[in-house]
Amino acid sequence: MGAALQNLDYFAFVILFCIGLHTLVARPNLLKKLLGLNIMETAVFAFIVTSGMVDGGAAPIVDGTVTGPFASPLPQALILTGIVVAVSISALALALIIEIYRQCGTIEADELKGVG
Amino acid sequence: MEVIDSRIVLAPAISLACALLIFLSGGHAAWRATLALGAAALKFAVILSLLPGSLQGTVYAYTLFDFPPGIGIAFRADALGMFFALVSSTLWVLTTVYAIGYMKDRRQKLRFFGFFSLCISTTVGIAFAENLLTLLLCYEALTVCTYPLLVHDETPEALRAGRKYLVYTLAGGALILFGVVMVQHLAGTLSLSHAGILPADAPRPMLLAVFCALVAGFGVKAAVMPLHGWLPSAMVAPTPVSALLHAVAVVKAGVFGLLRVIYNVFGVELLAMLGYAAWLAALAAFTIVAGSLMAMAQDNLKRRLAYSTVSQLSYIVLAAALLTPLAALAAIAHIANQAFAKITMFFVAGAVEQATGRRHVHELAGMGRVMPWTMGAFTVASLSFIGVPLFAGFVTKWYLSLGALQAEAWWFVLLMIVSALLNAAYWLPIVYLAWFRAPRGLPARVREAGWLLLAPTLAAAAYVVLLGVTTRVPGMPFSLAEAAVNFVSGTRGGG
Amino acid sequence: MSAWLPLAACVPLVAGALVPAVGRRRPQLAQGCALAASGWTVLATARLTRRLFMEGPFSYAMGGWAAPWGIELRFDAWSAASLFIALIMLAVLVYSGPYARAAIEPRRLPWYYSLLLLNLGGMVGFACAGDLFNLFVFMELVSVSSYALVAVGGGRIAALAAFKYLLAGAVSSVLVLFSVGVLHALTGSLNMADVALRLAAVESRGPVVLALAGLSAGFMLKAALFPVHLWLPDAHAAAPCPVSAVLSGLVVKVGIIGLLRTNAVFAGVDGLPMAAFGQVLAWLGALAIVAGALFALFQQDIKLMLAYSTVSNIGYIVLGLGLANHAALTGAGIHVLNHAIIKATLFLAVGAIIHQTGSRTLRELRGVGRMMPWSALAVSIGALSVAGLPPTAGFLGKWYIALGAFAAGQPGFAAVLLLGALLIFAYYIRILNAFYFRAPVDDNMRSVHEAPLPMLLPVLFLAALCILGGLFGRWPVALVAPAVERLAGGG
Repeated sequence: MGAALQNLDYFAFVILFCIGLHTLVARPNLLKKLLGLNIMETAVFAFIVTSGMVDGGAAPIVDGTVTGPFASPLPQALILTGIVVAVSISALALALIIEIYRQCGTIEADELKGVG
Repeated sequence: MEVIDSRIVLAPAISLACALLIFLSGGHAAWRATLALGAAALKFAVILSLLPGSLQGTVYAYTLFDFPPGIGIAFRADALGMFFALVSSTLWVLTTVYAIGYMKDRRQKLRFFGFFSLCISTTVGIAFAENLLTLLLCYEALTVCTYPLLVHDETPEALRAGRKYLVYTLAGGALILFGVVMVQHLAGTLSLSHAGILPADAPRPMLLAVFCALVAGFGVKAAVMPLHGWLPSAMVAPTPVSALLHAVAVVKAGVFGLLRVIYNVFGVELLAMLGYAAWLAALAAFTIVAGSLMAMAQDNLKRRLAYSTVSQLSYIVLAAALLTPLAALAAIAHIANQAFAKITMFFVAGAVEQATGRRHVHELAGMGRVMPWTMGAFTVASLSFIGVPLFAGFVTKWYLSLGALQAEAWWFVLLMIVSALLNAAYWLPIVYLAWFRAPRGLPARVREAGWLLLAPTLAAAAYVVLLGVTTRVPGMPFSLAEAAVNFVSGTRGGG
Repeated sequence: MSAWLPLAACVPLVAGALVPAVGRRRPQLAQGCALAASGWTVLATARLTRRLFMEGPFSYAMGGWAAPWGIELRFDAWSAASLFIALIMLAVLVYSGPYARAAIEPRRLPWYYSLLLLNLGGMVGFACAGDLFNLFVFMELVSVSSYALVAVGGGRIAALAAFKYLLAGAVSSVLVLFSVGVLHALTGSLNMADVALRLAAVESRGPVVLALAGLSAGFMLKAALFPVHLWLPDAHAAAPCPVSAVLSGLVVKVGIIGLLRTNAVFAGVDGLPMAAFGQVLAWLGALAIVAGALFALFQQDIKLMLAYSTVSNIGYIVLGLGLANHAALTGAGIHVLNHAIIKATLFLAVGAIIHQTGSRTLRELRGVGRMMPWSALAVSIGALSVAGLPPTAGFLGKWYIALGAFAAGQPGFAAVLLLGALLIFAYYIRILNAFYFRAPVDDNMRSVHEAPLPMLLPVLFLAALCILGGLFGRWPVALVAPAVERLAGGG
């Protein structure tokens, strides 16, 4: 039980990830699919950031006043890049959705089937 | 004695270059004919120049590419390979002359002559292949190059026959590849320069699988029943292509592959120990009889010829499967004997069709009176197939019977007699019809076909006689066959 | 000398960023810039490959920070794929001149070249990345530019296909990123060589297996392995032909190289079910070979056919990876390179035909062989090569994979391989039949001309490579040999 509580954050990420995946797969609306994708990405980002946490660690900013254990800065740097990538994907996807709406007049996947 | 000699690469390269030149030459008919004929003659001369050395036991070798590493595209002309190359390049000259005459008024000649040259290039490649991979490579290339020839007329019937051909031969090719990979796995080499490369202590199921894959694969082109289905359908192709399929290249490539498998991959000793060859012999015996029976039922002349090919090829397979030196001699010699007789018949069928438009056996009545030379050649070929002494076919039957006795399998002698009777039963009626019946419904102006068709026909018929009477003359193909057998049986332990 | 390595990836990326700016003022300069940048990349990767041959693998530490803390670029046998990537991209860019002018709106043209350059830089970077995170970043660079490239021609089918591709690609990226996170949490390092060392000391196996599964699933999705291939045919068929060549020949290989790289990370760890994992890969590969070929057999659209053929060929490579012995891995490695050349040849040649005739179904393309002999010849060579007929390039990979199947004691896979080759041959025969032996259905075909020279030259160059790649197959085999040694020895 203790272990489960200790890893509570992991369960939260898994649940978040599953919500995102479900939205991505089950929703016919392209915009909602994109939102689902973003939720999945957020779950992974959160997981990686927390993996850098060190108990009692300070923020990894070296200005001479704080000494002792720092939280690992690497995951944060990674996620910064990851977020940039995610934003670019979202931007591209939105552009595509607009294009699809212009061309087909709908962004519901089940209606688009007949069009494609 | 093994000599490195680039001439054996030159031989296939000549035809390859010729094909490229033909493709680039465009629509120039005169150029094309000169090129095709010149290349055929040149190639024949190159191979002939190798003959004296080969008769003395010299083996020529040349490695071209190291592909895949350690195996390579390599050529090596031993006596067996030389024999096959000599036969096909001789016939090639005849077929080219015939094709120039036959295709005169047809379309798409550029494609036809281009791929025609490619075919012979790959055939010589098969003959001179040093390892199984080179053999397979040329074998597959031959398949691909014959396809455009087969569907040349682009009729639905031709396309159907072409599809059938591809399905059969490509499936066969895949089987061979499967077998080749297994051989490489078991033996660690693919070289064809030994009398057997497979280790005797390999697992039996693997050996059986190799045997089945290789025999079935090559058996497709060798038209061993029940893998013969493509051959009768393929007779829709123009006659020079039929000659190519039945005599010069394609079916011979299959038979040659089988010989290589039996003599060089497994080796006579290992096969005798395993006992698989008996099954192959039984299958071949069945094919000989069944092919003849089917031939008898055909009224279309080219179809009858096709089933006769099915039957005749199995002589070679049967002889090879007997595993005795004399039978091996019959097997190798029959490559030439069947080829010359069968090409004569196809030339005749094509000439008759060209001159009168007739394709069926019953329409041949009285043909001997209007086209005496052509039908004379046909008669010679028929007698050879029946096995009358002094004709080429007799040599085969004689040595095959001796070989069967050597193997203590006397029932194959019986088979020879039955087969001779069957051959007589479907060739002699045609001869009778042609000479002893009055012509019916032929326009008065019908004459012999042009000399471009007639000359190769007569030359081929002359060869049939020549092969039958000159078995003791040194320097003739038969002596080369003997040299090849010496190699095969010599390594069998001095037997 | 050592600066060649980062420059090989950076120059196309920087040029990709600059091309739209240049193209705004002088649109006609866009292609020239792209050509110069990719030509430079060819030179750089050729030098790097030569050094690889002479000295073996080497690394470059970005900014002078040594591995495992700094960013390491590493050039080994799999990185040598970047030479092929750069060559093919150069051919595609030359080819794009006349093609793109007709198929893409003028105002989008600079963006088109920019995206291709970003794609090139991303792939070269991906092939040379020494740590997991850069692997991810370069992969995203490739992916995002690919999504955009699918849609660059305009039209609703392309936009829909691009969106589908984007969703599938994004999910695979998320999986990869997640696994990278897990590995980092376990080992505290991102450098692949370092992670491989430290993983051996990690005690709990569960998270390691999770990371392996996540990475494999992610890269398989990127490589369009059979059950998860659904995005590929639409995307590859809807994109403009030069883009299809890049996507089908190169971009799917990103997934494969990713699999190879990450496999190497896990190879030294004891107690992982690597044998079972290999079996799963092999079965998936075998399934993909047959399924892809069967799907291809029933297509009328020639580009869809080619796309499904890619699915089948990816199956070959994955089968080789799964069998995981020396011969099979050699085959897989060689087929990665050769399939890139072959598929690029096919898509570009078919693109030339589509460009000149305006039709893309087999029925409408009947008789085109007589009108466009050179393009049709290139298609024929590509077709024979992809079917694996010796002595073309396509044969070599299949030969080694089949040998590997026997060496692994699983001859069934060799049989599947040959069956697949036969099926592939069957549908290429359909194409060749239509090109050469069928009468044209309409009279427009008679007025078709051969493609212009800038399109024809790259096509013929690649077609020649299809044959030379087989005849001189010794070189690629020697190239992948050391890398294979390490993978097979560790597994």
